[in-house]
Amino acid sequence: MDTQYLGEHLRPGQLGHFFVIISFVAALFSTFSYLRAVFTEKSNPLSSQSWLVMGRGGFVLHTASVIGIFSTLFYIIQNHLFEYHYAYEHSSLSLPPQYLLSCFWEGQQGSFMLWMFWHSVLGLVVMRTAKSLETRTMVIISFVQVILGTMILGFYFGGDIKIGSTPFMLLRHAMQGAPIFAMANYMDFIKDGNGLNVLLQNYWMVIHPPILFLGFALTLIPFAYSIAALWKGEYKDFIKPTIAWSLLNGAVLGTGIMMGGAWAYESLNFGGYWAWDPVENASLVPWLVLISGLHTILIYRATGRALPITIIFFILTHMLIWYSTFLTRTGILGKTSVHAFTGDGQALYYHLLVVMGVLLAISLGLLIWRWKGMPRIKTEEEGLSREFWMFIGSIVIFLASIQITVTTSIPVWAPLAKWISGKDFAPPTDVMAHYNGIQVFVAVIVGLLAATVIFMKYKNTDAKTLGKHLGITALIALVMSVLIGWGQHITMWQYDLMLFTSCYGIVATIYYGIMLQKFKFKKLGPTVAHLGFAAVLLGILLSSYNKHTITYNNTGVPFNADAEASKKSMDDNRENEVLSKGVPAIVGDFQATYIGDSDVAGKDRRVYYKVSFDRYDMQTKKVVEHFMLYPDAFINPKGMQGLSANPSTQHYWDHDIFTYITGAADKGREDTATYQRYLLSKPGDTITVKNGFLVYNGLGKVFTESRYVPVEGDLPVQAKLTFYSKFPDVPSRELNPLYILRDRKFITYLDDTLPSMGLYAHFANLIVKSQNEATAEVLIRQTEPIDDFIVLKALVFPYINVLWLGVIIMVFGFFISLGDLISRAGKKVMDAKA
Amino acid sequence: MKKTHIVLLVLVVITISVIISVFLDFSTYETFASASKQPGKNIYVIGFLDKEKEMIYNQKEDPNHFTFYAKDKSGNLNKVVFNGEKPRDIEKSEQIVMMGYIDAGTFHCSRIQMKCPSKYKKDMVAVGSSS
Repeated sequence: MDTQYLGEHLRPGQLGHFFVIISFVAALFSTFSYLRAVFTEKSNPLSSQSWLVMGRGGFVLHTASVIGIFSTLFYIIQNHLFEYHYAYEHSSLSLPPQYLLSCFWEGQQGSFMLWMFWHSVLGLVVMRTAKSLETRTMVIISFVQVILGTMILGFYFGGDIKIGSTPFMLLRHAMQGAPIFAMANYMDFIKDGNGLNVLLQNYWMVIHPPILFLGFALTLIPFAYSIAALWKGEYKDFIKPTIAWSLLNGAVLGTGIMMGGAWAYESLNFGGYWAWDPVENASLVPWLVLISGLHTILIYRATGRALPITIIFFILTHMLIWYSTFLTRTGILGKTSVHAFTGDGQALYYHLLVVMGVLLAISLGLLIWRWKGMPRIKTEEEGLSREFWMFIGSIVIFLASIQITVTTSIPVWAPLAKWISGKDFAPPTDVMAHYNGIQVFVAVIVGLLAATVIFMKYKNTDAKTLGKHLGITALIALVMSVLIGWGQHITMWQYDLMLFTSCYGIVATIYYGIMLQKFKFKKLGPTVAHLGFAAVLLGILLSSYNKHTITYNNTGVPFNADAEASKKSMDDNRENEVLSKGVPAIVGDFQATYIGDSDVAGKDRRVYYKVSFDRYDMQTKKVVEHFMLYPDAFINPKGMQGLSANPSTQHYWDHDIFTYITGAADKGREDTATYQRYLLSKPGDTITVKNGFLVYNGLGKVFTESRYVPVEGDLPVQAKLTFYSKFPDVPSRELNPLYILRDRKFITYLDDTLPSMGLYAHFANLIVKSQNEATAEVLIRQTEPIDDFIVLKALVFPYINVLWLGVIIMVFGFFISLGDLISRAGKKVMDAKA
Repeated sequence: MKKTHIVLLVLVVITISVIISVFLDFSTYETFASASKQPGKNIYVIGFLDKEKEMIYNQKEDPNHFTFYAKDKSGNLNKVVFNGEKPRDIEKSEQIVMMGYIDAGTFHCSRIQMKCPSKYKKDMVAVGSSS
């Protein structure tokens, strides 16, 4: 018998599911119609036109339903309808409203929906702008939407095989068999949801995923254009839109990736902005291949060369997005990634394998079919031509991405390798050294090429002028890099090379922009992007090479360091320093003093720890610099023990001091302190307590005490105490316990506390000696404040601003180029009309 | 042969040799027994926390020293010293991946990753890395 459940809201779920189905069917219909439009293009133009109109209609309907799905799910989350698994799993009543949207992309289905949403928006733009390529590109785009649709369908076949999972699943379906659902009124017991992972409660979580997913979604467009060109066997019309879209894609995906880095840097304690983590690599690799494709298509536009490789690059870029989804969403990375992603298991694993198989089959099939007929240039390019070196650069970037992929994919190919060799492969023990050691050479080659090719011309370049420009550039760069390398103590030769490369890049692009391009803004796009790239290299080098920890623990159990191999990793782990409350410790050039924590956990349930940093002048012993840092942490976040920390950073123009808490005193401990009795007879009497003293200011009768509600017949007396701290940054605080004579018969008390100091005051008795003389008997209790301590880790990142600035410049360069391209296209349309 | 082809060939050869050489860089998953055959060499051991045995961690004395016992996949028990802060929720972990080396019978580890069961069966990978 079916139970009739009470208190459920089933309508939104039904509506949502309806939208899911409509969006799927509409995408399918659009694919089919556009496909018919392609097939009848030659034979029956009239019918082709009507198929086209139907295809458009289908896609518009699809977009509308995707927005419908979005709104319905948002409604469910916003209204805390916890009968839905998605709302239960990812949101909670106490979640601040700005994070409601973030619940979307915390879950699997939500992020697929976000991806789908961007695809459909981009699809609408392509629909309006693709012209002769509309039918074919839209077949691809709609088809990918069909594929994504299957991810959120949640259909069952024969009970065991599940296709996708719907975001509108009910809690009782998601957790079938749980005893609570035997009760019809189970909703009465489900008061709150699981909430958003505290690590993700951060403004970055609000903006980073939409931008990153827009970057992912954008790869579909150059892919669709490339496939469309192959399909049509016509390779001219796709050039301009593909360049424009991949410029936008490069800018957005690049921003997304670096925002991820900034997020990790600013608010997660991963100890840096880039860790070569598999999840980071999974979004970097598609960007690298995209950049290769962007450069080869420029070669193709200018010279007619490099068409096949261009198409391969754009196909790969989009395929790699699916591959990175596969890596990050199926839990296959489990053992190797620090990012806490949930694995939705086997179903998704095979689903994504099928998807990648289908897309690969289509792309490969078309490639093989058209391979022979693709236009190629028979002659050889000149040794001093732009296309030659640009091509080499693109290939190097591509090869670098292969290396990153091979290492990142260890969990994917390890089972096969084990079967062959019997060895169970694991990632390198020092991942950073592994990647850095190889990629530094890529950075050098690509950096040198990127700066050199802007001086070159397509077809051929005059060797003499080129030599002159490059000579001047190299000379300035050499001087600059020697100065920086000397100043920053960069001693490893490969990093000296990288330093020269980045200086060369910066000098070359500025020189070129001013001397040769004469600041013509429209043309500056590539120059600015390459300048940004060189600055990124410089920023990475300076901030990573001299990144160092300034908290060293010199106490405690000595660590047996026989093994040379582990010396470095051992050092890595002696970087937590205990700061007892009020006791200064040396942290780098500073004396760091832990002052105390925020009395109560803040609105967002964080505890903030106040740490004062003071730098002394050695001679005069005076404080020459002082600042406060407030690293914070979620203490015992839901379902977890311990703390989840967020860093606090002091920024300077040339370096950052980055701190976070790795441990703190357990405040929830049993309290064993007892009350001490004090007799206070005249103002000025002083009680010494730990970390300070209390001064008695006499008795008071005027009550501003909000906790006390006057009752008729009361005689309230207040003992006025002021707490003064030993530490300069702690303000004095009032401590005013009450003694109340009620109806002249009995006595009540109202105690006062200073939680941050662990101070409790109880006004026990009032001994009246004469009219003007009375002694207050006060009991003071103080819990052990000496036990209050934090464990701090502090790092210095020099010149990290160069990196952020470089990224911004680079992205800006992309947009200049894009703007130029669009304005020229606009002009052409105007000319054609005139 | 075209210039491009020559350069491409060179690049491909370099890439292949780099990729072969990075294979030497890759570590392996071992057991405590096989790790003790190569003392001092950093490897990974997949194991489980032995909850019966004591865990020693005194944050105040040395926040970088955490001692516990772990069983590897073949069931051998070994003492583990982790020089970092105690990973949160390690008591709840159902599997831990430890990176380090054997020295005098003790496994010195500098990185720990844990797999924790979340409340509702779904697997969750939690972070327990010190570096």
